[in-house]
Amino acid sequence: MSGVWLAIDTATDIASVAAGRAPAPEAGAHVQGARRHAAEIIRLVDFTLGRLGLAPRDLEGIVVGDGPGSFTGLRIGWAAAKGLAQEAGLDLVAIPSLMAAAAGAAVKLGQAPVAAWFDALRGQVYAAVYVFHADRVETVLAPAVMTPDEFADLATLRPQVVAGDGAARYADAARRWSGAPPVAPDALAPAATMLLSLLGREGTARAIDDLTTAEPVYGRPAEAQARWEARHGRSLPDPTRPSR
Amino acid sequence: MLGIETSCDETSAALLVGERSRPELASLVILSQDVHRVFGGVVPELASRAHLAALPAVVERALVEAGVGWHAVDAVAVTAGPGLVGALLVGVVYAKALAYAGDRALIGVNHLEGHLFAPLVEDPQLEPPFVALLVSGGHTLLLDVPAWGRYRLLGATRDDAAGEAFDKVATLLGLGYPGGPEIERLAATGDPTRFTFPRPMRDAGFEFSFSGLKTAVLHAVRGSDDLERDRPHLARAFQDAVLDVLVTKLERAIQATGYRIALLGGGVACSRALAELAARRLAGCARVAVASPRLNADNAAMIARAGWYRLALGERSDWTLDARADLPLPGLEPATLPDLTPHP
Repeated sequence: MSGVWLAIDTATDIASVAAGRAPAPEAGAHVQGARRHAAEIIRLVDFTLGRLGLAPRDLEGIVVGDGPGSFTGLRIGWAAAKGLAQEAGLDLVAIPSLMAAAAGAAVKLGQAPVAAWFDALRGQVYAAVYVFHADRVETVLAPAVMTPDEFADLATLRPQVVAGDGAARYADAARRWSGAPPVAPDALAPAATMLLSLLGREGTARAIDDLTTAEPVYGRPAEAQARWEARHGRSLPDPTRPSR
Repeated sequence: MLGIETSCDETSAALLVGERSRPELASLVILSQDVHRVFGGVVPELASRAHLAALPAVVERALVEAGVGWHAVDAVAVTAGPGLVGALLVGVVYAKALAYAGDRALIGVNHLEGHLFAPLVEDPQLEPPFVALLVSGGHTLLLDVPAWGRYRLLGATRDDAAGEAFDKVATLLGLGYPGGPEIERLAATGDPTRFTFPRPMRDAGFEFSFSGLKTAVLHAVRGSDDLERDRPHLARAFQDAVLDVLVTKLERAIQATGYRIALLGGGVACSRALAELAARRLAGCARVAVASPRLNADNAAMIARAGWYRLALGERSDWTLDARADLPLPGLEPATLPDLTPHP
């Protein structure tokens, strides 16, 4: 084994891939534009592994952005990760995409609370707050979906900064909450690079023990499911599972 | 050849094995997402989520049932469209990853072409020319197929697909989803003389229209003073009307082309009533080629078979293969337009 991990993140408008011996990325690439993710994701993997002269079977494992974020985007990254891991017999772990974005902003801040907001549409953001230590990551507020103001009211720790496309969209709310200008996605290191940097730190990764059923953290149910459950007052029976 | 199909609400994988010109079906796994029944139709987001969750297990089971390992898979064929784009994307990206990881050939397949190849999986002697009637929840097409890979559109629906009409009428009658099997089951006990519905566009050309027929059923349902009593008769009358239109156009196409084979494909072709009516009306003119129901429903065996054909032609998809909701049928030749009459 090479000890090299492949990282994939497609939770936002930027699809990124990186590879290296954690925590240091040795190669990587990204594309911007959600509609390009499906066409480009394997090309990104091929380009990245090609730079290192590796094939998928040479990898130690795959770390994939766990969301929440764009439903379709997440599925593209996860479909790629599951296919590669299944065929090549690789370990698969998932790290929250919000943690990767916050880690990108935390690089220059040290052990201060950092928030990440991804635009969840409908006036809401997917959001979380983390504190990054050298050997572990403390999740102050776990990923949730709510309005920027609701989130600011809920958080007990005021973050040093808010990063992500949700912070850019709701810049005034982000600035009010943190007291600092928001950090837009293009000012952050690619998420896949940050996934690699987080790998191995305590409190970051979710091990995927069963590839055959694993899913990303979507952050909210499908709209039709939410409406049905509200109308019927009970859960849709195992909505993501085929029944036979 | 590993086939993968995720264009709608069936997650399917299949293995074809064998010599270059004579592949045989080694395994076919189809998982139907029953969650959509409670909504009376497919919810795209739920379908996409279920595909992602189910695909690895479905593929693994297809390999086990075929008795082969990954090393035996030389190529991956996947539905690239048409269909629900979110659902297609899951299959396309997953298939690309499998192909890339194993250094295998990749081929994106048109779902409709897959339906054309479905009967070939069980009937290797099947050869064009033939007329194909593709009828499903998303499509109603009448095609002239002079050779594999060459298709001429004779006619299509102007509004609802035939399967869509079955689903909508099933809802009107208070039946479950999908509507076709429910209506066929109920129609078997219905009196064909109790109700009569119009046969839209039956006697003209090759195009179809089912929305007016659906409205006629709606009026009949509203006019019924005992729907419980009338339900089987309404189902029978509706089914008779749809099948009469479909088979009349198929007959007309056989007469126009002089071909000796009529192929039925798509989910509606699972209907025994359709196959029996077509065989009866075409007796002496053409034989009806129709696959077994599991190969007429959305399935990966037909995708693998069409992919096998395309790979044999030397075609390959590259890593930028993408899903397209409106992917056109490859090799589709424009319909011949009638001559214009110039003014003197």
